[in-house]
Amino acid sequence: MESKMKKIYFGLVVLALGLVLSSCEKDDTDFSDIIAEYQVEPAEVELDFSALSEIPDVPVTDENDSAYNDYVENSPWNKVINIDLNGENAVITGTVPGVMVQTDGAHVTVVNMSGPVKFVVSGQTSNGSLKIYGDKRFQILLNGAEITNPNGAAINNQGSKSLYVVVADGTVNRLQDGANYVMVDEEDQKSALFSEGQIIFSGHGELAVNAVGRAGIRSDDYIRIRPGVKIYVNSTALDGIRANDGIIIDGGVINVETTGDGAKGLRSEGPMTVNGGRVTAISYGDTRITTEDEIIDTTACAALACDTLLTVTNGTLRLRATGDGGKGLNAKQNVDFKGGALVAVAEGTKKIKKPKGVKIDGNFSISGGYFYSYSRRSDPMEVEGTTSVATGYKTYEKKAKVLLIEY
Amino acid sequence: MARCKRKRLILLVLLFTALMSQGLQADDSGLILSAEASRKIRKGLNAGFEVEFRSRNDFRTAERVSLGASVSYKLLPWLKASGGYNLLIENNREEITYNDDLSYNNWRPSYWGLRHRFNVSLTASYKVRRVEFSLRERWQYTYRPEKMIDNFDFDEAEWEDHKVRGKGKNVLRSRLQAEWDIPRCKFDPFASVEFHHSKHLDKTRFIVGVDHTIKKTHDFKLYYRYQLTGSHSSDPNIHMLGLGYTYKF
Repeated sequence: MESKMKKIYFGLVVLALGLVLSSCEKDDTDFSDIIAEYQVEPAEVELDFSALSEIPDVPVTDENDSAYNDYVENSPWNKVINIDLNGENAVITGTVPGVMVQTDGAHVTVVNMSGPVKFVVSGQTSNGSLKIYGDKRFQILLNGAEITNPNGAAINNQGSKSLYVVVADGTVNRLQDGANYVMVDEEDQKSALFSEGQIIFSGHGELAVNAVGRAGIRSDDYIRIRPGVKIYVNSTALDGIRANDGIIIDGGVINVETTGDGAKGLRSEGPMTVNGGRVTAISYGDTRITTEDEIIDTTACAALACDTLLTVTNGTLRLRATGDGGKGLNAKQNVDFKGGALVAVAEGTKKIKKPKGVKIDGNFSISGGYFYSYSRRSDPMEVEGTTSVATGYKTYEKKAKVLLIEY
Repeated sequence: MARCKRKRLILLVLLFTALMSQGLQADDSGLILSAEASRKIRKGLNAGFEVEFRSRNDFRTAERVSLGASVSYKLLPWLKASGGYNLLIENNREEITYNDDLSYNNWRPSYWGLRHRFNVSLTASYKVRRVEFSLRERWQYTYRPEKMIDNFDFDEAEWEDHKVRGKGKNVLRSRLQAEWDIPRCKFDPFASVEFHHSKHLDKTRFIVGVDHTIKKTHDFKLYYRYQLTGSHSSDPNIHMLGLGYTYKF
């Protein structure tokens, strides 16, 4: 009897030991695929100064076309004034009836009552500026100019007509404002390169704007950038490039960096259209918190912010925000993406605001091109309105952190 | 006598199988394996040393290994006092938290950690014919030392160090047990119900089993335990098969 019992107990012990030895499995949920999806690294977005092969744009020749006056080629430029900055002074050569030029050291003030006038600016100053009055369109040909104004804007156009900024082929030009602006009554001065009227950039040279007091480039009208030009804006205070009535990018290599809290790399308060070129904008700032009348307001950064319709037909937008709540693209209204490429990356934290690769408050429609949005700490893209994705896409992937649509 | 043993064994196995098959779909199941050495120091005073292993996840995952020492003293013929310490090496279950929109928030994978447990008990017994009823009241204090573990934060999309804070927990365990002494049968069946109370009713345990002693030295216990988890815990209910051996010397 005891022998039988021993056998039973021996069998039970063997069974139990077998169960012990087989109990080495983990009972955790298998998150490996999900974590791999969450931990995917974003597409790289770094400033890119490399040359871009572009087809030159063809100036509009129809005078009735609203864009006719945006082409510097459509105006006569036989009236020329040369401004040569020479450290502490400015040397002015050339006279034009109806144009008055005054200098105070290297600070140059122009009153233009004439028609189209070309100001050829060259040389260097660490305490100078160029201010233009007059409601006539004019051209500034930057021909190797370096202007730093410790007390305000380096170039300040107080006229409401077109300012053609032509960056001379092969030249490198630098503009820098000061940390503290000395204001003049009833005059705006919002950036290192400021214009009350529209600014149209063209040429095949390089323009670098370093803004430490206010924005980099700002127009109270609109800004157009044409193929060939290279623009680099580094703003440590406010926005990089901003326009009240819209931004049109037909081409060029545009690099923008902002580090201020709540700052935008590019901000268009009017409609924005991208038809070509390569824009790289990186916003490093965090959400800005302001208090007024005991009301707390928060403003997140964005590499590109558009307050109305954004249309992309061609070109490349490479956008990255690294700070708290930062957006790659923040569109307040509709986005119509017809072609080109957009890479938007949000890497910031979400302590105050949610970071998003792309955030669209209106509707989103896409019918071509390459569209990539990544958010490290939230959904890759947020569209408050409707989303319309035309058929015919090659890739449509929506994962935890990445959205990719490719035609 | 042989028929008595066989019948009870078969009954026990059938009962276990029936309960397991009912509960397996929703509940967990596991094993308790223990071995104890017990020595009578003098009349009424005993000391013991115990090792225990537990599994869960339908016997596939180790849950706990524990080492314990205890002493007991018979204050009165019907009243016993005891105390003990256990070092628990425990595989803590994973923990998943969710955001308001039900997306994942955090995942803390299962991890092994130590716990120190102290207990004191009073057991009162009363025999009615061949059935001995006993009521054990046990106060148990368990201390979990602080430990750094991994945690995946889905919002941050990264692994981060998570500090599990050290904390102690007091539990009052109340167990009512009945044990039959069947004439001419070396198998003594027993059944018990036990309630674990801290701030709430944490768990309730139902146990049925048999005890078999060979030559007063080797004691074997085979039992089935069903543990109902209180509503304040996310742990599942669990069916457990227990096998215990005690060597008395």
